[in-house]
Amino acid sequence: MIVLFVGSSCDDEGPMVIDLPDYDPTPYNLAYPEYLPIMEIPEDNPMTEEGVALGRRLFYDPILSADSTLSCAGCHKIEYSFTDERQFSVGIDGSEGTRQAMHIVNIGWMPDLFWDGRSQGAEAQALEPVENPIEMMDTWPNVINKLKAHQEYPELFYAAFGEEEITKEQAVKAIAQFERTLISGNSRYDAIVERNEGFFTDAEQEGFEIFNTERGDCFHCHGGILFTDNLFHNNGLDAVFSDLGLEDVTGDPLDRGLFKTPGLRNIELTAPYMHDGRFQTLEEVIDHYSEGLVHSETIDPLMKQIAQGGIQLTQQEKNSLLAFLKTLTDTSFINNEAFKNPFE
Amino acid sequence: MDYFSKKTQKHKKMKKLLGLSVLVILLMTACDDEEPVVPEPGDIKLTLLHSVDDQNLQIGEERIYMSPVGHPFSVSRLKYYVSNFSFHKNDGSKYDTDIVHYREEGIEDTKSFILEKVPSGEYDKISFIYGLDEATNVDGGLENTLTNQNMIWPIPGDQGYHYMKFEGRYDSLSTGVILNFNLHTGATQNNQNYVEITLDLPNKVIIDNNTWEIDLVMDMMEWLQNPTDYDFAEFGQAIMMNQNAQEVLKANGTDVWSVDRVAQQ
Repeated sequence: MIVLFVGSSCDDEGPMVIDLPDYDPTPYNLAYPEYLPIMEIPEDNPMTEEGVALGRRLFYDPILSADSTLSCAGCHKIEYSFTDERQFSVGIDGSEGTRQAMHIVNIGWMPDLFWDGRSQGAEAQALEPVENPIEMMDTWPNVINKLKAHQEYPELFYAAFGEEEITKEQAVKAIAQFERTLISGNSRYDAIVERNEGFFTDAEQEGFEIFNTERGDCFHCHGGILFTDNLFHNNGLDAVFSDLGLEDVTGDPLDRGLFKTPGLRNIELTAPYMHDGRFQTLEEVIDHYSEGLVHSETIDPLMKQIAQGGIQLTQQEKNSLLAFLKTLTDTSFINNEAFKNPFE
Repeated sequence: MDYFSKKTQKHKKMKKLLGLSVLVILLMTACDDEEPVVPEPGDIKLTLLHSVDDQNLQIGEERIYMSPVGHPFSVSRLKYYVSNFSFHKNDGSKYDTDIVHYREEGIEDTKSFILEKVPSGEYDKISFIYGLDEATNVDGGLENTLTNQNMIWPIPGDQGYHYMKFEGRYDSLSTGVILNFNLHTGATQNNQNYVEITLDLPNKVIIDNNTWEIDLVMDMMEWLQNPTDYDFAEFGQAIMMNQNAQEVLKANGTDVWSVDRVAQQ
């Protein structure tokens, strides 16, 4: 029997003594297709059933926001593969952001998070929205107090982390554990290419070849089984950048206008596109790479045919590339019961 | 007994005594701590450096180089695999490895690697593959890491990985704009295209329970010349499926490497 002293703010009768069971978390068996790389789990945050369950609750719980109206899921909606359908998400006081919410898929394989890569790992990323004045507008000390005063959270936190008191580090660790379970590897692409189940249509096959040769050259940034290289590129959106992207983080002018390559799994669901959500449709995205490239000093050396404005796809090639991109949609992901709102 | 037999007897005794003494001395030396010494394996630490014009390669637009054809150019990225290092003795025997090493300019972690348990002996040559051998260069041939995922060569009909990504910008002169070059080498259309390198070591590596360091330097300018001057504009930016371009680079690639330093640690 572990005896836990809970600090009480009220009276002189001394701390409450609560008898709690031994700390005995259950390891979480994180399963994913063998064609995905090994996911490196941080040593200081091993996955447990209790941690994942707690993280899932926190992800969907508006308690993290100052007026208790906005949860992570408020801007990262499962039906859109955990992004917002809005160009800019809206904070609790109606403030709009300046960048499109990134979709949360396969983040366990992403060393850096946010469009400018300023957070290393999901734990670091989760610290920010709570205190962001244009998002949840709260403070972590206040959120911790709310969690401590909650009827269920103290027990859930203890079961997950076995520490005397709830901390923000535990909270973001739990959220990170849940987010690491948000794995997509079961699209039509995977079935066809990785498991030899079924075939592409002619259009999809042509799109596959455009994507994976220097004709379309998409693979050089959006390649591999994760459909992102997890690096930063200036993909020719602007001649002059008001949003500096990676330069915000590194201070290096050579990083101006460089943004993180998003993964393309479920890309059909995650409109609008680019760091500022300027493109409403995938057709516009394809048009951009085909004719719309704009030169700047830091435009990526991989961008092809910049002088012509891009790779000059024919309409048929554009249609085929679009058809291929749609094969990356994983309906089992957005319908996964384990990812849904536990409060509903 | 007469005098001589006395002398003989004395002689015999002395011989015996001498013999015994020698035996004792031999036994004593045999019981010393010094046993006959057997040479033991050791380690070799390889460091891969990059140069242009006899100076360290500098990434970024501040440093402009001149290609043999006359294009001013700068280097943005350099990533590649080297593999199958072998160490040769002067009797023709060699020690083979099947190591694969990924090197990226700007990532310090990739600069050096250590080969352990190299058999003892004197080595006067080193050989290796720039790229990957045929057995390794297949889909899934390398460990499924993020780094190796980023080097995948996905051209339909081909397999395996990029051997090298050497990227940058050049002044095209004729159109007056800055264009990009992407020297991506690899196996295409059943041509393996890897480069086999053999280098004499300026001084022997003598392995005997020790560590030796070998520094190799890759002169990036040599990819663009010797035997053929490489014209960025001639082949254009997309050369992965261009076997002519691959062959020019493969031929140029045989003499890009030199040995900078060989020393016992």
